[in-house]
Formats: sequence, structure tokens, C-alpha cells
Amino acid sequence: MASPEVSEQLEVRYGLPREVKFCTRCVISNQRPNSTVEYQHTGDSKKETIRFDAEGVCDACRYAELKRTKIDWASRERQLVELCDRYRRHDGSYDCLLPGSGGKDSFYAAHVLKHKYGMHPLTVTWAPHMYTDWGWRNHQAWIHAGFDNYLCMPNGRVHRLLTRLAVENLFHPFQPFIFGQKALAPKMALLFDLPLVFYGENEAEYGNPLKDTNSALRGESYYSAENIADLHLGGTSVREVETSYGLDRNDLQPYLPANPNRLAERGVQVHYLGYYLRWHPQSCYYYAVEHGGFQASPERTTGTYSKYNSIDDKIDDFHYWTTYVKFGIGRATYDASQEIRSGDINREEGVALVRRFDGEWPERFAQQVFDYLSIGDKEFPVASRQFAQPVMDRQSFLKLADSFRSPHLWKREGGEWRLRHVVWDESSEAQ
Amino acid sequence: MSDVPQRVAIVDYGTGNLYNVHRACQHVGLQAAITVSPEEVLAADGVLLPGVGSMPHAMAFLDETGLSDALRSVAERGTPLMGICLGMQMLMEQGSEFTRHQGLGILAGEIVRFPSRDGNGTELKVPHIGWNSVRRPSGKTEDPWRDTPLEATPDGEYMYFVHSYRVVPADPRISIGVTRYGGAEFCSAVARGNVFGCQFHPERSGPHGLRLYREFARRVEAWRQVAPR
Amino acid sequence: MITRIIPRLDVKGPNLVKGVHLEGLRVLGKPEAFARQYYEQGADELLFMDVVASLYGRNSLLELVERTADEIFIPLAVGGGLRSLDDIRGVLRAGADKVTLNTAAVRRPEFISEAARRFGSSTIVVSVEAIRRSDGSYEAYTDNGREKTGLDAVAWAVRAAELGAGELVVTSIDREGTGKGYDLDLTERIARAVPVPVIACGGAGTAEHVAQVLGTGAAAASLASLLHYNQARRYLAEPNQFSPEINVAHLQRPGFAKVQDIDLIQLKAYLTDRGFVSRPLVAHV
Repeated sequence: MASPEVSEQLEVRYGLPREVKFCTRCVISNQRPNSTVEYQHTGDSKKETIRFDAEGVCDACRYAELKRTKIDWASRERQLVELCDRYRRHDGSYDCLLPGSGGKDSFYAAHVLKHKYGMHPLTVTWAPHMYTDWGWRNHQAWIHAGFDNYLCMPNGRVHRLLTRLAVENLFHPFQPFIFGQKALAPKMALLFDLPLVFYGENEAEYGNPLKDTNSALRGESYYSAENIADLHLGGTSVREVETSYGLDRNDLQPYLPANPNRLAERGVQVHYLGYYLRWHPQSCYYYAVEHGGFQASPERTTGTYSKYNSIDDKIDDFHYWTTYVKFGIGRATYDASQEIRSGDINREEGVALVRRFDGEWPERFAQQVFDYLSIGDKEFPVASRQFAQPVMDRQSFLKLADSFRSPHLWKREGGEWRLRHVVWDESSEAQ
Repeated sequence: MSDVPQRVAIVDYGTGNLYNVHRACQHVGLQAAITVSPEEVLAADGVLLPGVGSMPHAMAFLDETGLSDALRSVAERGTPLMGICLGMQMLMEQGSEFTRHQGLGILAGEIVRFPSRDGNGTELKVPHIGWNSVRRPSGKTEDPWRDTPLEATPDGEYMYFVHSYRVVPADPRISIGVTRYGGAEFCSAVARGNVFGCQFHPERSGPHGLRLYREFARRVEAWRQVAPR
Repeated sequence: MITRIIPRLDVKGPNLVKGVHLEGLRVLGKPEAFARQYYEQGADELLFMDVVASLYGRNSLLELVERTADEIFIPLAVGGGLRSLDDIRGVLRAGADKVTLNTAAVRRPEFISEAARRFGSSTIVVSVEAIRRSDGSYEAYTDNGREKTGLDAVAWAVRAAELGAGELVVTSIDREGTGKGYDLDLTERIARAVPVPVIACGGAGTAEHVAQVLGTGAAAASLASLLHYNQARRYLAEPNQFSPEINVAHLQRPGFAKVQDIDLIQLKAYLTDRGFVSRPLVAHV
């Protein structure tokens, strides 16, 4: 255990809290970064993190408590019905846009909008970096359960380059996906003239400030911006990306936000269905299996115990391994925290699951991911020159990882990296 | 009238789940104790010989500990003795599992493994596992279940079996219960005086199995009243 | 044909749970209450599985087994986290007649032989939980469906029987909880390949499914969803018998669309009509 004097000397990266604490109800730590506007995300960015109250309970658990005890769901549902009544079309047109992957949550959202609330959703999917077999099958099962779908797959080379940039600068392989996930739907809404857009759950439920959960609407800054050149992709300004990496403005289209003026003109609104309907991921799983043949993954996702949460992208394993490196929070922690809040498991089981699975090295798709991240000179004649090591391999990846470890979280012990503070060992908690 | 407390001995020869036999005894009000002591067996008002497993190991243990002799004395003396599953098989003279091994020789007959194919040539799954009907054999002039623990059981009642071997009594008179498996009947219960054996597990056979224990308990109590001390 | 119908009760802590593909486990009630009902409705045997045993490294069902064995006099098989001969002995002492082994057997197959020698083959059941691969073969899994083994499930089943397992429970993880029917291919392949009885498990949604799987050579059928949802509906559990933080919202209307609403008595009557004979219904005094 570090003594107080030593811990004060440890560097703290990313503006994270120096003291590491774990929620007394779930298993999330106070190092968990809140959602940010990725267009402003650079290597120097300081993170806003999840808030713990005086009793040591995190905002997400408090919100779960509200969901259970205070929120008037009947009233919220009435608001949804009113909203749907206002937008519902009777002339055969679509009347709302539903971005989704065909996972359990989007399945539930599409099905319930169509069959319970009488809407005519057009679904739209922003493709994962690399489809898993079962992810693709579930997407197909979704369509075959009765929905029209537009699948947007970005230029593979551009996507790979941006992913590599995000990894190099931010150690954040998931970022290109996040851009598209947020940007696509509003733009499709303009394209199809469907001003009503429904997402599923509000990320705020997972620990963003409680006030974010008071609104049905996603903040516009997430998906619209005035001045493109100042945005950052992969921690690099668009200007730089276009100058030094051999990409032009057209290559970047899928990642750029919609023009806010056009959105305002058309009255595009992005709503969270989770504001109107009480969201329970496990119930969505049952719903999706019952009504559409959703299938859990045949193998446990690396770094966690779950087989049905977010299983369609091979790069997901790496995404959660990078959060483990940067914040000490792996996939099992996220999954267990959510399930504790929903009452699916208790904290004792959550702790045991974190201990068993968190931070597991994502071997199963590793080579595919390294190949994906490699920027060879034939495919990328300009960009490859920007990288000291254009080909990514295990060794260079691990070396890169080390440069993102914050000393206040990690120590070196017996030739291995160990977290200073773990949820299953209370004596390791912060001094 | 004897006012010495009732005592039933459950013989523990190292394999088999005795605890459920013990529970069944408790359930019907029998004071039972699991034992490996020949003295306790000899002093008991009733003796249960339960078990699953392998005969040679079981017999070796009984011989080494002197329990074999104690059991034979018990049988001779008239104390109610009930053999269950492997226990029933051990009452016989001869086993054929692994080696031609001797049983206790209390009843005449041998133990034979189920064949691997039935009468029609279809593969027969061994062990015989499951619920099956126990009936009186045909051709008996008197009720063979009278004065045995099966007395209160309806004919054809289903009991729980799990065994790979069956007994073939030398004297058909001691075969009092038959069951059909693999297209043929085998002997599922034997009785001669105070000695009773059942191939099935009455402690796993639901309410009817418990009834069998209850009948055994009545016999134990009756014996306790009249037994020479 | 003689058969056995074996309700399978997955237990987590004090609660009976049920999932789909062994995932998303939800609380349905108290295992003792369900066990008692099934006993009285004519269950041939009962199977209790501790589904968090491998996570905690121990089987926690001893108390439940003891309480059950004090009242329920039919064969009881217990599994989950049994790693040593001592573990097995403990569970047998508590009242189990049979134990099921999976993870421990995969890690060290000789354990099957050791256990069979010590306790008798008929006491040792090996549980094979399988997922179908894209090439049509099946892979065996451990840890409640979480860990791949790389083993071909059929070959592993054959080996387990050779090593001394008295029975096999074969579960299709793909079908489990879906109500779409057993994986007949998986069951048949294994039943044909081993000389010991095979208990089919995973996927029963209708009485017809059960008849189907028994027709493929399975000696017995185990089922969970088909019985538990019906039972949960008939005997709606009082919410306050569960810890307050546990989600029980689904118990207001327990059920799952593809699962037929029948009880064990009706199921067995159907099977008897189809020629599958098992323990008859008797009065429980």
C-alpha cells in the first residue's frame, strides 16, 4: 500500500481524480469518464468523471434509484404517445428514424415503436468496424423480423486510418465508430425528411451528470457543429488530417456532423426512448429473443462475463481493454455495474465477476485488429509516412499502451502491471 | 415387553448413500444408526443393508470387519433384515461382477449382469435406471407379499431402480417381486421369513417407498416385543 | 418405453433462476417450493445446479439439498462447482444421490474415474453443455456456458462414459431457454455413441418436443423453462420474499412466448399416451 506521501507524488493523467474510490452500491470507480463531445477530444483533454455523493453512491446508481422509485413512468409514456401521435403518418410514409445495430436494445426499440405505438420506423445502421458472425446474423434477424434498414459502411481505408490515429493519439479505437453513430442519424433524418429520431437508452444512465437525464433530447453539440476545420478526429484537427494524412474533405463525410442550421430549419429532434420507457437491458434481451430470434454470442465477450451486450464489433474487445488501461475500468466492471443497478445481480457477485474477468487481454481477435490498424504504404502512401511504425503488432501495441497508463492507477510488480486499487480488495482502496 | 429403546442398524460398508436411507427411517419413526460395528448389528432390532457400488469391495469390507458373520447371525436369529439394491444382491450366494465372488450366502442364487441387447436384438442401456413396476409373480397360490414389507403396497406399483446386475434366486419361492426390463422379467424382490430384499430403492421411491419403510418399521417393532434378549 | 422426466432447477444463492442460452438469469421463485410441487406432480428425479458455483469456486447448495432431502423422496442430482472427492462426499451426505461434473472433469478427466471408483458409477453424472459450431460439429463448454474447451462434445461424451460416468446430461446451450425444442442432432449423436443413459436437456417448449427427444434415444428428458414459467404463474411468489435489490418485475406476468403453458402432470399424461412410461402420479399423504 502506498503511503499518503508517496501517493501525492504520483502523476495523475487525464485530469482524473487522484483518489480512487468505488461506488458502494455498484462496482464502478470514480475514474469513469463521462461522455464527451469527441470532436473536441485531444491528447490534452481533461476528463469529467462520474460523481459520487456523500454516501459514496455514484450518479448512475442514484439515477437507477429514481427510475425505480420516483419517475412517473405512466406520465412519461403518455408523453411518448403524444409525441408519436404528433408525428405519425397515415399515408404510407415513414414517420421516424431509428438508428440501431440489431442488438437487443435496438430490436426492442424498433419493435415497440412499430407494434405498440403504431409508428413506421425506418431503421438505420452505422456499421461496426469489423462485424462478428453473430453480430451480422442478429442484424439480419432484426431486418427479417420486419423492418426496413439502411446500412452505412464507411470507406474501409479511411475508417482504418482514423482508427489508427485515434489509437495513437488517444488510445481510443472506438472513436470512429462513435462519430458515425452520433452523426449518421441526424443526417439521414435530413435526407429522408424524418425530423423525429429515436435512440434507445440515454448514456446518462451510466453516470453522466444527473441533470442530463432530465431531458428526452440529446444535446446538439454531440451531433452538430458550425466550423468543420476546427473539429478533431482521432485527436488530430481536420486541417491536419487533410494536410498530412492524404485524406480530403470527401473522405471525412461520414464522420462530420450535420449542419446545425439545416437541422434547425427542418426541426430535427433526437429523442431517447429511454426517457419515456423504463429501460432494462436484460428485459430487452428477453424481448429480442422472444420476438425476433436474437441470439446471444456463442462465446463470452473477452474481459467480461456477458454474452449479449454489444457483441457485433470485433474491435469492442480492444475498446474495453483500452478503458482498462486508461481508467482501470474494464468491460466486466461496466457490465456488472449496470446489472447491479438493474437488480439482475448483487454487488457480491459483481465484485467476483470483476475480479475474474476485468482487463482480460483480448486475444481472440487480436491479430485481426493489429492487421486492421496497420497502415501499409501501398494502401496509404501518404499517411504511412506519418507513423514511426506503420505496421501495428502486439509488441508495439503494448508499448503504446504503457504510454497511456496513469501512474496513480498502475504500478509495476514482478514484471507485470498491477492496478493499485481494485474493487475486490478493500484494503487497496485509496488512502 | 421390552422397554429398551428401539435400534435399527444401517450397515455402512463404504459406498452408497446411506444418508437417504437414514432419512427415510427417521421419516417413519425408526430410530436408526449408521454403523460398521458387528456388535451393534447383532444387538439391533432390525438391520438395513443398503448400497450401490461394487460387490467385491463391499464383500471384502464386510468380511474383514466381521460384519459378514454378524449379518448371517442376524438372518438366522430372526431379526428383520432388509437388503436394498446392492444389499439385496449381497444376500445371495454368488456374484459374478469382476470376479466370481461370494456373497453372504443367506439366500441361494446368483447375480447376473443385464445383457447388452434385449430379446429383439436392440441395444439395452445398462444400468437399468428409472421407475418401473413391481408385481407379484404369476402362479403363486398364496399372496407372496403378505408378512413382508411389501404387504401394504398396491400390486404393480412403480419403484425407482438403478442397477446393472439382477439376482437369479435358486429357489423360485423366494422370488416375490418381478419387474420387466429389456423384454424380460427379472426378480426385483426376495423374501424368506425375516429376510427381505428389494432391488429398487424404497427411500427414493416417493410415498410408496416410504410405506415400505413403514411396514419394515412395524416388523421391527413386532420383533422387538418378542425377541429373546 | 421407460423414461424419466427430470425438472432442472438452476439455483443462484437462495433463488431459482432461469435464463436464455444460460444468460440473463432471472429470479423465478424459491427452489424448495418448486421442488416440492414437482415432487407432488410426479417428477421422476430432480436436478439442482448451482449456477454461480464456478464463479465463487464452491458449491453452495448443501443447505438446500438437506432441506429438500428431508421431505422429498425421489432421486436428487446436484451439480455446480464440484471439484474434489470431498466436495462430492459433502453433497451426497447432504442428501444427493448423484452429482454432475463438468469443469472439474474437463480439466482433469481422470477425476471421473476416481469419483466413479470411490462412489460408484451410478453416482457420477457428467454434464456436457454444447454449442453448435458453423461446421455442424459441437463444442463443449464449461463454467455455465462461459468458457470454451476446444473439445468436440461428442468425442468428449464418449470419453467421459469410458472413464466411468454412469450417465450423461447433455445440454444444448443454443436451445436452452428458447422453447424451440431440443437439439435432436446433438442428443442423437451422443446417445448413439455411448452405452450409458443420456439425459437430454435444453430447449423444451412443448410436450411434443419432449416426445421428440425421447424418440432419438435419450433415456430421459430434463426441462426447466417449460415447467418453471407455468409454475411461477400458478404460485405467484410474494415479492417480499426476495431481497429488495433484486429485480422481480417480470414475475407479474411470468412467461415466455414460445413456451407452452402446461404443468408436469399434463406433460406426463401426454407422454404416457405417446408410449413413454414414467413414474405415475400418486397421492402424497
